[in-house]
Formats: sequence, C-alpha cells, structure tokens
Amino acid sequence: MRRSVSIAGLAAALVLGTLGFDAGQKSYVANAQEKMSTIEVKIDNFSFGPVTLTVPAGTTVTWINRDDIPHTVVSTDDSKTFKSKVLDTDEKFSFTFSKAGNYPYFCSIHPKMTGKVIVQ
Amino acid sequence: MHPFDIKTVVFAKHAQHVVLIHFPIALFIIGVLFDFLAQWKKQRLLAVAAYYNLLVAAISTIPVVVTGILAWQWELDGQKLKGILLMHLVLGSLSSVLICVVCFIHMRTRRKQEEVLPGYRLPIEVVAVVIVALTGHLGGFLSGVNGPG
Repeated sequence: MRRSVSIAGLAAALVLGTLGFDAGQKSYVANAQEKMSTIEVKIDNFSFGPVTLTVPAGTTVTWINRDDIPHTVVSTDDSKTFKSKVLDTDEKFSFTFSKAGNYPYFCSIHPKMTGKVIVQ
Repeated sequence: MHPFDIKTVVFAKHAQHVVLIHFPIALFIIGVLFDFLAQWKKQRLLAVAAYYNLLVAAISTIPVVVTGILAWQWELDGQKLKGILLMHLVLGSLSSVLICVVCFIHMRTRRKQEEVLPGYRLPIEVVAVVIVALTGHLGGFLSGVNGPG
C-alpha cells in the first residue's frame, strides 16, 4: 500500500514537472533584468520558442533560426508592422517594440508556425 | 484577405503551389513507367498511354511554375534566394524543362508518324525522374512535411 502511494506520488510529480516545463516553453515573461534589453526567440523544429512573449515597451526582440530549414518572421496585421527576410540557419532578425499592444506573427513559408509578442 | 483576390491562391495559408505540384510529379513518373513498359513489351498502347500522361504532365507544369514564382515574388518580396530555396528553384526549373523536352520528343515522333521512339529519350527520362524526385524532396523539406503538426 505504502509502495503504491510512493509510486503514485512519483508519477504525479513527473506529470506536474513535465506540464510545468511545457508551459515554460510556450510563454515567457521578461524579468526585470531583461527589461529594456534584447530578448531572443529561438526558431527550431518548426516552432517559435517561446510561443508567447511578454515584454515592456522599448524591448528589442531578436529571432534566431536554429532550424535546418529557412523561416521568416512576419507580423499578422495588414500593415505588416515587422517582416523579416528569409532567415537561413543561424541568421537573426530583430525588431524593437516601441508601442504597447499585441503583436501576433507567423512564418510566411510555414503558416502553421505562429507566435505572439505582448508589449506592456 | 478577399477570397477572390488572386494573391490568396499564392500566399502561404492558401498556397496552391504545394497542391498543384503533385499533378506533374505523378503524371510524369507514371508516363515514364508506361514508356519503359512500352519499350520492354513492345506494345503500342502503352506508348500511347505514356504520351498522354507526359502531355498532361507538361501542361500541368505551367500553373506550378507560375504559382511558385508568384509566391516567391509576393510572399518573399522576390528577394535573392539562397540555400535550399535557391536549390529548389533551380531544380524545379530544370525539372519543368526536362518534362517538356521528354513530352516534345514523344510529340515529334507521333507527328512524324514514326513507329519507333528514339532510344536517347530513355536516359533523359531517367535523369528527369531523378531531378523531379530531388526537387520534390527539397519541396517537402521546405513545406515542413516532416515537421510537427
């Protein structure tokens, strides 16, 4: 009985740990040290990481392509607030967010790849 | 985005290039297969089947090339390509030319009402199939067929 409780506890810890790790990958809030500086979004395995990024106004976000495939970073809005050239492996694109708001974006080569920058 | 805007058929979320490309690939490979079978079995009907497959393959390369180039010009602003994208463009163009050349050889033989197709077409067809396969492989890589989701 005691043993099964221990196993259940271990399993629960593993599940919670995995969920916590996954959540950490999907969204990210810049801490005080990173505020007003450059924050990196990694492009890898056909996804942006973190998917959602929350930063203060004035922050420069740099996307770096760590994938073997070329990708782009294009804002979803009609006026195309930001639009990168095609980024090959290890190439970077930076944009400084001066105004508060939500900035959803995607890869124009692979439209299923989406992300969002929330500027506070 | 307006559903009848021509750009909707080119832009990534509704891109037709990745849909249309399957027609020339399938038709050309089957056409070559029929041609080799016709050569081996000495059957005229198989050669006719090969001709029609190759003809439709050649015709279907037109919208594929057009949508591919428009996607490059509109989606990527016609920027100078490099790496896999450049290789895909070069091999894709070469594939289209080779498909049309093979189709032309068959068409010319039929027009001249010659009984025997020239033997040199067979190595051209083999090279063309290899180039088409390479282009398709790169296209699949680019479109994220092997990616998640």
